[in-house]
Amino acid sequence: MKRYIRNLGLMLGQLDQRYVRLGLVVLTLILFVLGSGAPEDGSGGGG
Amino acid sequence: MILLLAVVAGLLAGSVRAWRGGRRLAAPNLRLVWLVPVAFLPQWLAFYLPATRKLIPDDLAAAVLVGSQTLLLIFAWFNRDQPGFWALGLGLVLNLLVIILNGGLMPISPGTVARVAPDAPPDAWQMGRRLGTGKDIVLPVTAMQLWWLSDRFLLPPWFPYRVAFSLGDVLIAVGAFWLLWTIGDKADDGDQAWDKHDDTLPQGQSVIQRRTKQTGNRSGG
Repeated sequence: MKRYIRNLGLMLGQLDQRYVRLGLVVLTLILFVLGSGAPEDGSGGGG
Repeated sequence: MILLLAVVAGLLAGSVRAWRGGRRLAAPNLRLVWLVPVAFLPQWLAFYLPATRKLIPDDLAAAVLVGSQTLLLIFAWFNRDQPGFWALGLGLVLNLLVIILNGGLMPISPGTVARVAPDAPPDAWQMGRRLGTGKDIVLPVTAMQLWWLSDRFLLPPWFPYRVAFSLGDVLIAVGAFWLLWTIGDKADDGDQAWDKHDDTLPQGQSVIQRRTKQTGNRSGG
C-alpha cells in the first residue's frame, strides 16, 4: 500500500513538473514570437 | 496573431505526433529563459499596454524595439542547438536588420497599409510616421532600406483577419512550429535519465514502471 501511494505521488509530481515545464516553454515561445515580430492587428500592429 | 497561430498549430501538431507515437510531449531545456520576459516587458509597455503605449514617444519606442529584439537575439543564440531556433534566430535577424536600417521601426508601404485597413480614414496614418501605436513606420518603397524584408506580405483574402507580415515573420512562424513539432518526437529528460540506468527494459514502458522496478531492485538487492 505504501508503495502504491509512493508511486502515485511520484506520478503526480512528475506530471506536474512536466506540464509546468511545457507551459513555461510555450509561454516563453509566445513572448519570443510577440517580441520578434508578430503583428497584433491590422491597424496598429506590425513588425 | 499569425505567429500565435503558428504556436497553436505547432502545439497541436506536436501533441498529435506524440500521441500517435505513444510518447509524451517533452519540454526542451531552454537556456536563459528569464531573458525573454525581461526583453518583452519594455515592448509590452511601448506597444501593447493601452495605458502606456500612447505615452511613449516614437523615438523611445524605436529604441525599445531594437534593444528588446537584441536581447531576444541573445536568447536565440544561446539556444541555437535546439530544433527550430535557426529559423527563429534568422527570422529575428532579418526583422532586426530591416528595423535598424529604417530608423528603429518596421517599414510598411502605404499600399500595404491601404490593403490591410481599407476602411481607415485618410488621416489615420502619415507618411514617415509610426503607424498607430504599433511597430510599423509608413514609408514609400523607394525610401525603404531592404524593402523586401519589410511588412509586405498579406494573408489570403478568405482569411478572416487582415494583417501584414515580413519574411522574417514567416521564418519565425516556421521555427516556432518546428520546435513544437519536434518535442512530440522525443522522450523527455526524465525518460532519458532513466534509460541510462536501465537499458534492459522494453521500449514504451512508463517511467513509473521503470522507477518501480528500480526501487524493487534496490530494496531487493
